[in-house]
Amino acid sequence: MAAWGQRLAGVRGVLLDISGVLFDGAEGSGVPIAGSVEAVARLKRSRLKVRFCTNESQKSLGDLVELLQQLGFDISEGEVTAPAPATCLILKERGLRPYLLISDGIRSEFDQIDTSNPNCVVIADAGESFSYQNMNKAFQVLMELENPVLISLGKGRYYKETSGLMLDVGAYVKALEYACGIEAEVVGKPSPEYFKSALQEMGLEAHQAIMIGDDIVGDVGGAQRCGMRALQVRTGKFRPSDEHHPEVKADGYVDNLAEAVDLLLQHADK
Amino acid sequence: MAARRALKAVLVDLSGTLHIEDAAVPGAQEALKRLRSASVVVRFVTNTTKESKRDLLERLKKLEFDISEDEIFTSLTAARSLVEQKQVRPMLLVDDRALPDFNGIQTSDPNAVVVGLAPERFHYQILNQAFRLLLDGAPLIAIHKARYYKRKDGLALGPGPFVTALEYATDIKATVVGKPEKTFFLEALRGTGCEPEETVMIGDDCRDDVGGAQNVGMLGILVKTAPGAPFARLTGSLRGSRTCFFQSPPGAGKASIEQEMKKKLIHLLT
Repeated sequence: MAAWGQRLAGVRGVLLDISGVLFDGAEGSGVPIAGSVEAVARLKRSRLKVRFCTNESQKSLGDLVELLQQLGFDISEGEVTAPAPATCLILKERGLRPYLLISDGIRSEFDQIDTSNPNCVVIADAGESFSYQNMNKAFQVLMELENPVLISLGKGRYYKETSGLMLDVGAYVKALEYACGIEAEVVGKPSPEYFKSALQEMGLEAHQAIMIGDDIVGDVGGAQRCGMRALQVRTGKFRPSDEHHPEVKADGYVDNLAEAVDLLLQHADK
Repeated sequence: MAARRALKAVLVDLSGTLHIEDAAVPGAQEALKRLRSASVVVRFVTNTTKESKRDLLERLKKLEFDISEDEIFTSLTAARSLVEQKQVRPMLLVDDRALPDFNGIQTSDPNAVVVGLAPERFHYQILNQAFRLLLDGAPLIAIHKARYYKRKDGLALGPGPFVTALEYATDIKATVVGKPEKTFFLEALRGTGCEPEETVMIGDDCRDDVGGAQNVGMLGILVKTAPGAPFARLTGSLRGSRTCFFQSPPGAGKASIEQEMKKKLIHLLT
C-alpha cells in the first residue's frame, strides 16, 4: 500500500462516525474509547474541518450529544448529521404519515409529524421495541398500501455494546423487505445522499474528505462509493475478518481514532 | 419439459388448503374422499411448524378428514432429521406445541439455531442470543421461510422474515428444510415408489407449494382459498412459469378445492 503521505494528500476535512469510534454504548450510557476525547479535541484545533456522521437511531440527537458531552467530548448538535432530522424533512416534503417502529428514546424527534392513518413505515433501531407484535403491525400497514413505502434510519447489521454485539435495524429492515417483497429507502450511511448532505455542511468536495468509521460496509464502503477516502478503526464493531472483506478495502486500517488523528495531523493537507 | 406420465401420487398441503386454523375449507373432506377413490397415493405435506404431527392429526380427525399419521410429512420432521444428522444441540425457536417432535434432542449449551414459527419467541433479546450463537459458528436451520401466514385477524409474519434478518446480520445462509426446498418434496415421496413426474402438488402458496413442486418436476395446482391475499404481489415472481392457476370467481372460493381437484384430476386421469 502507498505511503500514508500519499494516501492522505489533499484531505481537508474529516467525517467521524460516533458509535464504536468515539465511544462504546452500554445500556443507557457509554464508555469513551481510549484516546478518542483528546483525538477529537486535537482535530478541532487543527486546520482540518470536522463533522460527525452517525446512524444512531435509538436516541434523539439531543440525548446523544448530551451523553457525548458528559463523556468529555467537544461536540454540539449543529456538528452532527443524524438520520432522524433528515427523515422528518423527507416525510414533510412527500406528505408521508408514518407508522413509527422506533424506540421511545427517539420518539420526540417525530413530535411534529402527523402519524394518523399511516401511509408509510419508518423503522429505526428500536431495540426492545422490535417485538413480534410491533413488527407485525408494520408489516400489516405495508401490505395494505398500494405502493408500500418503507423508510429505514440506517441499515446496519449490528453494533457493539459493552456486553457484546447487538442486532441493528438492518436485520429488521431485511425482514420487512422479505415479507412484503419491497425495498426500503435508507436514510443514513451508506446512502450516497446522506454522505453528500454531510459534505455539503462541511463545504467540501468528496475527494477532499475522509471518513473514519468502524463499519467496513456502512462507513468505509459507503464513503468510498461517494468518492471519499475512508479509514477503518480497530475499535467498536471491528472484526479481524473486516481487513479481508471480499468487496471493500479501506484506504487504511488504524488501531483507534487517536492513531488516525496522529496520521492525519502528520500527513493531511500537504 | 419432461414427459408427463400417468398420475400416481398427490401431495396435498394442509393449512390454507384443507383447513384454515380450526375450520375445514368447505368441500375439502368430500374432495379428499373422491381423491382416495381415484387409487392414487396421497401424502399430506405441510410447513405448519406450530404443531407436532400428533396435534395435526388430532385436529384433522376432529374436522373429519380421513388421514393417518404416516401419511403426514412435516417440516418439523425434516428439521429433526437434519439436527440428528449434524449431531448438534439446537436453540429451538419453535412454538411450545412443536417441542414434542424434538423429544430426546439435547438442547443445553446450544451450538445450532433452529427457527420455526414462534411469535412469542421472536423478541429482541432472544433473536440477539441466536445472532451471537451464529457469529460463533453455529449453523442456522430454518424449518421453512414462509413470508407470512393467514390468521383469523389477517396476515401475520411467518418465520421467513426472521430467518432473513439473522442471515443478513451474520452473513450466513440458513439451511431450509421445509417447502419449497427440493429435498422436502423428494423426502415426502420416499417409500411411495412414485416419481416426481407422476406426482401433483396441491396447495395455496404460489411459491412454496406450486413453485417448489414444479422445481422437482411435479405438477403444481394453486387453490385460491385465501380471498384476502394480495395475489398480484404473490404471483408476480412466478409469471411465465408452468403454474396452473385456478382463479375462482369472486364469492365462489368456498368450493374451490373440490372443483379444482376434480377438474385437474379428470384432465390428468383421462
